[in-house]
Parts: sequence; C-alpha cells; structure tokens
Amino acid sequence: MAIHTGRGIASIEYPTGMNQNGDPSQAWIKVKPDGRIDVFSGTSDIGNGSKTIQSQIVADTIGVPYDWVTYDNSNTDSSPVCTGTFASRATFVAGKAVLKAAQRVRERILEVAGQEMEISPEDLEIDDGEVMAKGAPTKKLNVGDVAAAATWGHGELITGTGAQLNPYAAISDPTTGEVDGVPHAAISYAACAAEVEVNDETGEIRVVNLTQAYDVGKAINPALVEGQIEGGAIMGLGLGVLEDSYPYYPSAEHRGGDFGSYYNPSSADLPELHNIIIENPSADGPYGAKGIGEMSNNAQPAAIATAVYDAIGVWVTELPITPERVLKAIDARDAGGGPRREGKHVIFDEELSINTVGTGKTWTAGV
Amino acid sequence: MKAVGARLPRYDGVGHATGRTVYVDDVRVNRMLHTKALRSPHHHAAIKRLDTSRAEQMPGVAAIVTHTDVPLLTYGHLSALGIPADEPLLASEDVRYKGQPIAVVAATDTDAAQAAVDAIDIEFEELPALFDMRKSFDDDAPQIHHWGTIYPHFEGEMNVRQIRKGNVEQAFEQADRIISGVYRPAAIEQMPLETQVGLAVPEPDGRMTIYSCTQALYFSMGVVAAHLQLPLNKLKFVGGTVGGGFGGKVDTATETLCALLAQKSGRPVKWRWTREEEFLCSSTRAPWHMEIIDGVTSDGWILGRKMLTLHDAGGYARFSPYGVTKHSFHHTGAYTIPNLHFDGYVCFTNRTPTSAMRGYGVTSVSFAVETHMSRIATELGVDPYELRLKNANRIGDTSPNGIRYMDPSTVDVLHAIADATDAELAAPYSDATREMREGEWLPEHLVGQLSHSEDH
Repeated sequence: MAIHTGRGIASIEYPTGMNQNGDPSQAWIKVKPDGRIDVFSGTSDIGNGSKTIQSQIVADTIGVPYDWVTYDNSNTDSSPVCTGTFASRATFVAGKAVLKAAQRVRERILEVAGQEMEISPEDLEIDDGEVMAKGAPTKKLNVGDVAAAATWGHGELITGTGAQLNPYAAISDPTTGEVDGVPHAAISYAACAAEVEVNDETGEIRVVNLTQAYDVGKAINPALVEGQIEGGAIMGLGLGVLEDSYPYYPSAEHRGGDFGSYYNPSSADLPELHNIIIENPSADGPYGAKGIGEMSNNAQPAAIATAVYDAIGVWVTELPITPERVLKAIDARDAGGGPRREGKHVIFDEELSINTVGTGKTWTAGV
Repeated sequence: MKAVGARLPRYDGVGHATGRTVYVDDVRVNRMLHTKALRSPHHHAAIKRLDTSRAEQMPGVAAIVTHTDVPLLTYGHLSALGIPADEPLLASEDVRYKGQPIAVVAATDTDAAQAAVDAIDIEFEELPALFDMRKSFDDDAPQIHHWGTIYPHFEGEMNVRQIRKGNVEQAFEQADRIISGVYRPAAIEQMPLETQVGLAVPEPDGRMTIYSCTQALYFSMGVVAAHLQLPLNKLKFVGGTVGGGFGGKVDTATETLCALLAQKSGRPVKWRWTREEEFLCSSTRAPWHMEIIDGVTSDGWILGRKMLTLHDAGGYARFSPYGVTKHSFHHTGAYTIPNLHFDGYVCFTNRTPTSAMRGYGVTSVSFAVETHMSRIATELGVDPYELRLKNANRIGDTSPNGIRYMDPSTVDVLHAIADATDAELAAPYSDATREMREGEWLPEHLVGQLSHSEDH
C-alpha cells in the first residue's frame, strides 16, 4: 500500500444571466418620510445573499448608510417581476434593476433638495445620507430632511423604478448555431489547482488542497463571494469523487433515501481552501460585477481527475471517481491498458463510447 | 463607509443562525390539510385503471385530485423559448419514472392522507425501461416518450443542437495528433436542507395565497396560473427566502397541486415532501455523455474539435433543451478553437426527470473539456499551463457562435493559481496577457476567427 500525491489544474468560463438572455428583472424603491429606503424586488434569496448584495448596491447608489435600507422580496403583490434566482443572474441582472431604481430615487432626492437648498441639483451630491453642495460640503441637508420636505411640504412621494432586460438572442441559423445578438450578460472566469492523495490499495481519494482564482468583475461583498467559492468547491468535490443518484447503476433501485445513505461531502472531506478574488470589471454589470454563483462548482472535478492521473497514472473519466473505479483503472493500467494508437490518432475510453455501447449511432474523427 | 466592496453580514443571517427565519414549513394556518401523493412504483408502465372512489370515503379525506381535475393538464414551462409542452401535471395514460405523481390526497393529517393513497385502486401494465442514453439511438430502444427517444423540437423541427464553425475536416488533416476521449459525469442531488414544500390558502376575497420555496416567484406563479387557467390577480405568491435551492427549486413541485386541492376542498393545503421523496422524485442534475475529438499540433495548438453530447432528460423534456443549447455555446471552454463540429442531443430515459442544477449545461462541459486538455498536455508532453495559456480566450477572439469575447480573464486566473502554487512559468507564458492576439500568439489558424469590432 502506498499513498500517492498528485496535482492537476483546470481553467473555466461561465456565462452570467440566462443563455440567450431575454430574462427581465425589475425593482421599485420608495423613500419613507425620514429618508429610510424601502426596496421591493422579486429576487428569491436561496442562500446566495442577494438580499444583502442588492441592499448594498442601493445604499451606495443613492448615497445613504447601508442600515437605512429595508429589502422586501416577500411576495408578488408588492414586488415586480424577477425571472428568478438561477443562471448566476441575481447580482448582475437583478442587481442592475435595483441600481437603476436607486438612480431614479437619487435624482428625485436631488431635485427636492435643490428646491430646499436653492441650489441646482447638478451642483449637489449625496454621501452617507447627506446632500451636499459640490465643493462646499458645509452647505448640506440630511436626506431625512429632504424626504420630510417631500412628504409634508411638497406633497410628493419619492420613488423610483428600474428594469433590466438584455434582449433575447435568437439562433438565426440552427445548422451552425449562429445567433443574432450577444447570448449572455457577461462571462466570468476561474481556475483551480487541486492536490490529491490516492491510496493504491483501497482506491480512496483525499482532496488535500484546492487553490482557486475567480474573476468576479467586482466583489460587491467579498465575504459572500468567498462563501460561494468555498461552498461551490465542496459541491464540486462531491460531483468529482463522491455523489451519484444511481450508485448501483445499471440498477436504478436503491437510490438514497436519507442523508446517511447518500454520499455527499461532509466536514471530514474538507480540503485546505485557498481563495483568490480577481476584479476585472465587466462593462455593463453593477459596479462592474459579474456572476459567481454557479461556476464555483465547475472546475474541481477536472482538476481532481487530472491530479489522480498525476498521482497514479490512470484516467477516470466517469464520475464520481469512486474507490471501485480507481482500483479497476489500476488493474487495467497494470494489464497494459491505455489509449489505442493508430497513426496520428490517440483514442481513449473506447469501452465507454457510444460506438461500443450503442448500435444506432457512431462517432469518429471522420466528418 | 461605502457598502459596495464591504464584508457586510448577511441581511437575514441572524434569523438563519438563530432559527427565527420563517420558512414555508413554519407557516401554520387554521384548518390546514396535509398532502400525500400516489406515485408510480414502476420505472415505465401504462396505467390501465385508476379509481379513487374507495379512497374518497376514507376518514379525514377532504379532496383527491387526479389528471381529470386539472384545467390545463400539460403546460410547457419553457414554451416561451420554443420548447413544447410534454409533461402532464399528474400522470394519465402512462408513467415514465419511478415516483411520478398520479394522484394527490389532502386530509386532516399525513397518516389519513397516506391511508387514502393506499386505498386508491390502480392497475399498471409494466413496460420495458431504458436507463442508458447511449442506447437511445438503437432500433430496439424502448419507446418511452410520445416524441420518441430523442427530443425532436430544436428550432421547431430539429432533433439535434448543432454548432458548425470553420472546417474541422481540414483541421484534422493539418493536425499532428487527433486525440479522443469520453466523459461521463453522473446524476447527483441538489440536496437542499429544505425539501420541496408549498402551502395554498384560499382567501375570503376569492384569491389564493401560495407560500412557496421556489427560486423564482413569478415563474412559479405563471406555472400555477397556466395549469389553473387563472389571471395573475387571483394569485399571490409568498416566499423569497429559500432553504437551499441549487437549481432544484426552479421546478414548481408542490404549488400547483396544493392550489388544486385547496380549490377543491375550500381549505388551506400544505405539502412538504419527505426526504425520501426529495431523493426519489425531485429532479437531479442530468447525467451527460460527452465524446471529444481534438485535432492538435505537436506544440499544443488546438486546431479543431468534433464533439458529441448526449444529455439524459429522464422521462420528460423540462428544461433539458435549454441546458443542451447553453452547453453547446460553451463547448470550447475557456479556449478559442476556430474549427468546430458539435452535435448535442436530449435523450429520454426512465430516470427521474433531470433539471437545473448549479452550473446548468456547463458543469458537464467544464469537466469534459478540462480533463481532455490535461490529457492533451500529457500526450504531447506540453506543460498544462502553457497549453491553456496558448489557446486561452483573448480579447477579440470569437466564441463558438461567433460572438466576440470582450473581457476574458483566462490568462489572469491561470497566472493567479500558478503564482499561488509556485508553478514556474517560462517566458513568453509568464508574460501572456488578455489583450488581442499578435505575433507569436496569433498563429495562422486563429487569424480568420478574430473580430476587430469594438461592439459585441
């Protein structure tokens, strides 16, 4: 028995927003008489932190403290359309809707403040809840006083709406996949370096270290970005080496009935995690942000599979890379297995191919 | 202090950490009924007889709903994207996966509901089942779906999602090596802590309030409105705080049936799936089968790719055609390959229908492409960083559908992990940038694909 160490890398990209776009999000904001801000958005928070992210965007865009902002996504009577929390779209697409609504509110606050202060709105700015004359910050009025003036003096409600929609990019030629527009809101990028230990007697894999870099455009909340990176890493580890809804395949029986009978990662499987956040701002995202939510479980399986090869010289390309699959691959390696080589062709995994398993279709290098 | 960029605590974190957040299952209302479902015990069967009359007389039973009670039985969740409807809300003629719902019972408690489910008279004729999508094309494949074994409605009438770019045949002729591999990630569970759960409350004003764990309030409200044939002002969805989704709660699993049971009984109806139901009948991540054939030069340029993708939809299409289309748009990964021939199919099997899960459509291709890249590197004896940096997307490169990459960061993220793990990169790879290709970064085969437009 020996423990073998191996390393592998992977580099990925992932689109922000629904594929082909066409996925609207909307928001509206109203200002209470003391200047506190109520945001209404239809974005479900599935644990991704979108309530927090969207509140942060609103606070800075209007220019008020974060704790002035109340966020309500609780029901469809008060909240407008959000296509949903999926496709890594809650920060970019829905975040841009609240950003636009907040810009409208900011404009209205400046208009009312301009009348109160007898200064043109273009010569005013808002910071930390105070409307100030540009270049003369002693001339100021609290946003709470502006809202009170709007309510009790001007007879107005300060409100703003925002909507974000990138137009649907249709496939104009289904034979080539050509599209008639940009089919995503932005693209995010990541790379992962995995270090594993493989036990050549039991076939067990331990993922020791995952070092990962993510370009998220702008980390609106670095703690939440790290949460996505680390949570996603563990999910990717599960996909790579542990999880299978049909563990006795080709039998489709005996599927997991509870947490104890389905192998998913636990804290005992936690590798050392090294997170790197890169901020190359996107042209269109709120504060330059791009999506991070989904891609964070995409890079690990390939990096781990490569590290397993580096450790013991076998490629396991059916997931999860179970001890059984590792041991069978070691046996095949020791029996002289490997890719078939024919001229300049190098053909791996023939036993898995549709050419071998099916009778109705073949797939070869011939076009 | 600026909020953007700050490590602010989660907006609702205290409630989550102290157990005070109200999730759907925490909502209790007077006279609330509880739900159990009659589910298929078979992977594939015809329904020969269905009779609920005995079950309706069971104690505590307030309503039973079958396919005959649904105003619009079969609704296409992505009909707006051209994916036609194929899945009945409740099975009527046949069942295509184990656990498929056939009837639902609302009763005063779950035991009474389960007793009534057990009292429903049903007769099946078992049919042969298929679980391996590689056999979907075989002449003797069991016919699972009324559309056949392969989804036939891409752009209305095609059974394949195609990408064609450049000339793969010529690329393979010019290649020094042609490397083939097969990649097969498994079905896995989204496994949220909160199982699928819904509560429908008929209101005195004639509206229906639906408490939902959906990831998409308006999307799910649209699904319920379509099945019940109601305008949106008759419905109010309450939710927005979800106990884990990971894609699985893009499906509208409980809400429509709760609403139908609430309409029929005139009482509030809750349905919380058990953990067993969550594992057996909630959608999974799809299993994928991917075969990649790359023509490469001996110094590591990828000249062309031919790729076959099979996506296991399970018994019904759901979002699978969308997933395969997204997959096809990203089948070159973070690299620029000018000659492409991609065929992607949605295959029907008797697995539990697959649906969205974190990274939908692309998680699979990331695994396949990156493992294949690693194999190419070892076969050629080229450093794995150098292989990737060479072919990495750069500004002005174009995607499989010919869209210009505006701000690709492949080079930056690779440099970052190389630095962090003390991997030594030699020049020119240590000096590579994301900027437009020129000089040694612009070999002949990449000239034609470049876009010089400043627009997208």
